[in-house]
Amino acid sequence: MIVVLIFGLTACATTSTDPREGGLAGGMSGLSSGAYEERVREREDRLAELRATQATLEAESRELEDARSERQQLVDEERAELEQLNADLDELHARIDGLTAQLGEADVRVAEIRQRLTRLQHEMQNQQSALDALEGTGLGDTDEDLRRRQLVQQRDALRREFELLMELSLELAR
Amino acid sequence: MHLSARVLLGACGALALLVSVTIPAAELSRPTPEVLEQIRLRLENGMPHPPSAQALAELGSSGDFASQLRAIDPYAEWFPAGRSDPVGERSGWWSGIGADVSFEADGVRLLPYQGGPAAAAGIPDRARLVAIDGQALRSLSPDALAEQLRGKAGSMVRLTLVDENGNSETISVRRQWVRPLDVELIGTNGRQVIRLREFLGGLSRSALLATFSFLRDNPAAKADQQLVIDLRYNPGGDLFEAFDLAGLFVPAGTVLGSLVTRAGQPREVLAPAGEKIEETPILLVGPNTASAAEIFAGTLQQLGQARLIGQPTFGKCSSQTSIGLSDGSVLRYTNLEVLLPDLATCTGIGLDPDFVLDGDSNDDLNALIEAVRTPTGFSIEQDQPGEY
Repeated sequence: MIVVLIFGLTACATTSTDPREGGLAGGMSGLSSGAYEERVREREDRLAELRATQATLEAESRELEDARSERQQLVDEERAELEQLNADLDELHARIDGLTAQLGEADVRVAEIRQRLTRLQHEMQNQQSALDALEGTGLGDTDEDLRRRQLVQQRDALRREFELLMELSLELAR
Repeated sequence: MHLSARVLLGACGALALLVSVTIPAAELSRPTPEVLEQIRLRLENGMPHPPSAQALAELGSSGDFASQLRAIDPYAEWFPAGRSDPVGERSGWWSGIGADVSFEADGVRLLPYQGGPAAAAGIPDRARLVAIDGQALRSLSPDALAEQLRGKAGSMVRLTLVDENGNSETISVRRQWVRPLDVELIGTNGRQVIRLREFLGGLSRSALLATFSFLRDNPAAKADQQLVIDLRYNPGGDLFEAFDLAGLFVPAGTVLGSLVTRAGQPREVLAPAGEKIEETPILLVGPNTASAAEIFAGTLQQLGQARLIGQPTFGKCSSQTSIGLSDGSVLRYTNLEVLLPDLATCTGIGLDPDFVLDGDSNDDLNALIEAVRTPTGFSIEQDQPGEY
């Protein structure tokens, strides 16, 4: 009677069937009732769930890491493109200096190309700083992707402007 | 024509169409007689419509020079040596809360940048700001206010906002390095809206193309949704960038407008070849839509390539340029009047939207989107002009 009472009390106090939590009598009762095996199974199930969750988290983490690496790679590629364009602009600058010597400081065509080159270089600086900002801030994926796309499209436009100026300078040199 | 436009841009220097805030300090300075003469000459020969000889003679005679200058050209401004023309300048990035500040009749409004600290802290578009770090805005000059919103990256600032019901809330924002997207995507009620804050020379067209492609590639965006571009707070920017953007929506060779200068007949601006956007956008406009933004919107409206929704626009279809003077000072003055495709100017008139909303609704992006959505509202494929 006493055993039953204690067991009943334990049962009321907790939903656990862990034999250690019910004291000696309750534990004995748990063992004898098969609750221990049930608890073990429950723990095994929970462990399996935890392992599955952990695997999912690891997969997500790998995906995030891959995405981050991919984005970083894209940024690195963009930086390399800009560096190349910068080098090309330096070359164009030298060519314009040559044209100035050849055609004279007062030649309006040279002055115009020089003015446009200055503007192009200014835009290049903006591109560089935007790329720095892309790496340095905690933009969300969507914003970062959108900004990167804008930068790529803008860099393409700058490249076209550069090619046009190069053509104009070549024509002038003929 | 695209090339011609660029050549003109180069020849004119920074052609900027921003409506600027006058800086009182400039009103205290006066040019020397030599520089004054240079200013008179430039206005006489450079403005699309010559000023009266009397007004030019009285310029600099006595009184407030800045006011006299504005009486001749309302958008002219003289910047003494050491002070550059702020219009057209564009810094790469800076540290601050990441929002534009709009000074309006009912107070100061914040327009957070997409992905910036203010937006991340939950500050909504057009939030009304009443205090910074507990200090009421009444006691702050606009410059002081801007200075307090900017600040060292990593530092915190407490912004007190008041909603439409008068409830106040204080939000802490950590200042960060910011650089707003050249073209932003504003999501509201499942609808993506492209916001153009300004027309940036050589940048906005590319950014719009990239954003448009991003939008159409995004599975969350419904393909059947009309393209909506928000120009409500766009004060202008680069004139030829605005034409380039308009040219994206029409066939190459279409007349986008004409430029009136002192020399010769109005010169037509034609749509360039290249990438096109095969859609007819809805443009959100309002009283703060000005200058290059009006030219972009007015051009597409008149060509039947866009419908305008909102309120009448500011009314400035002219362009300014800056020139250096002999003492190192700078004069900004109006050098071009822009005519829309119907050969009329919007200066002093503004653009009438195809669908007019009241002021409160026009400040509420959700209400605007609802107006676009509702069957009795706005649908450019079905409705005809004059039926609204």
